[in-house]
Amino acid sequence: MERGDQPDSSRSRTEIVAELALALGVVAIGALVLWQTNEIRVAPTYSRIGPRVVPTIVGAGLILLGLWLAADVLTGHLTGPSEESEDADPTLPTDWRTVGLLAASLVVYLLLIERAGFVIASALLFTGAAFAMGSRHPIRDALLGLAVAVVLYIGFTEGLDLRLPAGWLEGIS
Amino acid sequence: MGALGDLARGFEVALTPENLLWAFVGVLLGTVVGVLPGIGPALTVALLLPVTFSLDPVSAFIMFAGIYYGGMYGGSTTSILLNTPGESASIITAIEGNRMARKGRGAAALATAAIGSFVAGTIATIGLTFLSPVMVDVALEFGPAEYFALIVLAFSTISAVLGRSVVRGLISLFLGLAIGLVGIDTLTGQSRFTFGIPQLLNGIDVVTVAVGLFAVGETFWVASRLRHDRDQVVPVRGSIWMTREEWRRSWKAWLRGTALGFPIGALPAGGAEIPTFLSYTIEKQLSQHPEEFGNGAIEGVAGPEAANNASAAGVLVPLLTLGLPTSATAAIMLAAFQRYGLQPGPLLFERNSELVWGLIASLYIGNVMLLVLNLPLVGLWVRLLAIPRPYLYAGILVLAGLGTYSLNRSTVDLVVLYIIGAVGFLMRRFDIPVAPAVVGVVLGPMAEDHFRRALQISRGDYSVFVTRPISLAILIVAALAIVVPVLIRRSRGRGDSR
Repeated sequence: MERGDQPDSSRSRTEIVAELALALGVVAIGALVLWQTNEIRVAPTYSRIGPRVVPTIVGAGLILLGLWLAADVLTGHLTGPSEESEDADPTLPTDWRTVGLLAASLVVYLLLIERAGFVIASALLFTGAAFAMGSRHPIRDALLGLAVAVVLYIGFTEGLDLRLPAGWLEGIS
Repeated sequence: MGALGDLARGFEVALTPENLLWAFVGVLLGTVVGVLPGIGPALTVALLLPVTFSLDPVSAFIMFAGIYYGGMYGGSTTSILLNTPGESASIITAIEGNRMARKGRGAAALATAAIGSFVAGTIATIGLTFLSPVMVDVALEFGPAEYFALIVLAFSTISAVLGRSVVRGLISLFLGLAIGLVGIDTLTGQSRFTFGIPQLLNGIDVVTVAVGLFAVGETFWVASRLRHDRDQVVPVRGSIWMTREEWRRSWKAWLRGTALGFPIGALPAGGAEIPTFLSYTIEKQLSQHPEEFGNGAIEGVAGPEAANNASAAGVLVPLLTLGLPTSATAAIMLAAFQRYGLQPGPLLFERNSELVWGLIASLYIGNVMLLVLNLPLVGLWVRLLAIPRPYLYAGILVLAGLGTYSLNRSTVDLVVLYIIGAVGFLMRRFDIPVAPAVVGVVLGPMAEDHFRRALQISRGDYSVFVTRPISLAILIVAALAIVVPVLIRRSRGRGDSR
């Protein structure tokens, strides 16, 4: 967690490896686009500019951009750390525990929204995300999340006529 | 007569009690969400889009205009008091305004930003009123080749001129273009990139993309590198009423900022960043107190804030008259039009003149409401800045889920949101700007449509884009917008290594 415990050269070496991985990823997405372009059916009688032309340009463009980025990185054009922001410190290493907790909260939300309903899923997402981001008052967070979810639910369904899944609370309102 | 008569009818639409109420709700929600740290105008508009779904189109767009302007005002409050620019166009306000706040002149900084935004927004809306009909006449002369060339110009300026690296901007743009390809091909009815998932046939909504990149991606980025030694909110001190001296130093800066912001915003190349930076540089040159710049010069807040707001109105010119969004926020607004089956462009002024002019009239009204809301109530907005970070980001995720799910009431959209959020996290990690991707998602399909139509007319002859003079000229400018920054950076890089 400590900053600056790595010498600068090895730090920039890991950064070069990461940037090259990014370039490879861009090339891979381009290849995926080209591969899926071949799956698009074109009627053999269609003589005009067909549905494959632009996807081919986009796929090829991504591959070229990935190579351009790799060339940039290898010739020493690193951009340096990301922009400063209020809540994030770009010099810190990635905190995978927080990221994992947040991702887990989102998956729970996805699984519950149509079964348990919007209110329960949102309250749990709020509680889980607040915990992941460092809050240590789970009961208070859950009550707050529930309040936020109920207000949003009533505001949207009663005030704006949008349907949201009621789920397990069906019939209570 | 023409524009004024149309505008008068627009005011008749906007001044009904019901529409005044929607305009007020819009500016209020826009300000409240826009003030929240980390939420810029584009995300404000995306998150609040579902609120307008059940309204009739005229009321929806009147409310939407309020949200747009409210988000701009709210964002400048955050920049001044927290030094967190919600978007790149507020960077300057954040630097200079935050210094003023630290020196105990926060109230004056907020006042000059709010009044400057009002002056600039009003003048620029007048510009919009009279320029739009002219642009409509020009736009009627454009064929598919010219439209395609204009979109290419917007692509190259959005991805190459701004940001620190041309290649990163272009990667973002092409990722957006790839996302925009998903769905049914409009000209042949073939499905593309749907991976056999029926919910993808209608394509991926730009709201999902914007919320994924701006809200989910940003939340994960913050979570991955949570700062524990955060800056405090600077308390607002000083009188909200500016002194005579501060008025004297502000008003010329407001007007100069407006004069830069509106024309540059109205160009179909767009962007609010360039006019704000230009305005800052000019104010610094002209100031009698250049030494104050960097330490809280009031001109350094007044000019760029005015430029920012004037260009926000300017961006509506290409959006309404050509159907060309040139910022992430405008791209989301275009998607909102499309949800109602409306296609902005010259024909919108003919077929839906009530809607267009009602929207323009409500911009004037919204500006007045915002001035009234912002000057006396700023203390209230400031409290929103003190929301504990865990609750802020938890709330953003809840709103992101609600906004995305309510688009189609489909969990497939949530899965797409998470995937795009993961991409957004990586883009943030590698300093790839996200705005070009959002614009690419919306403009990509339009570009393809015009591209193929132009080629159908020319019977497959690709030279159609370079033999028509207007199209050729626009394409040359677009190419220069990519090549020149690369060359400048190359020569600068060589200078550094010496």
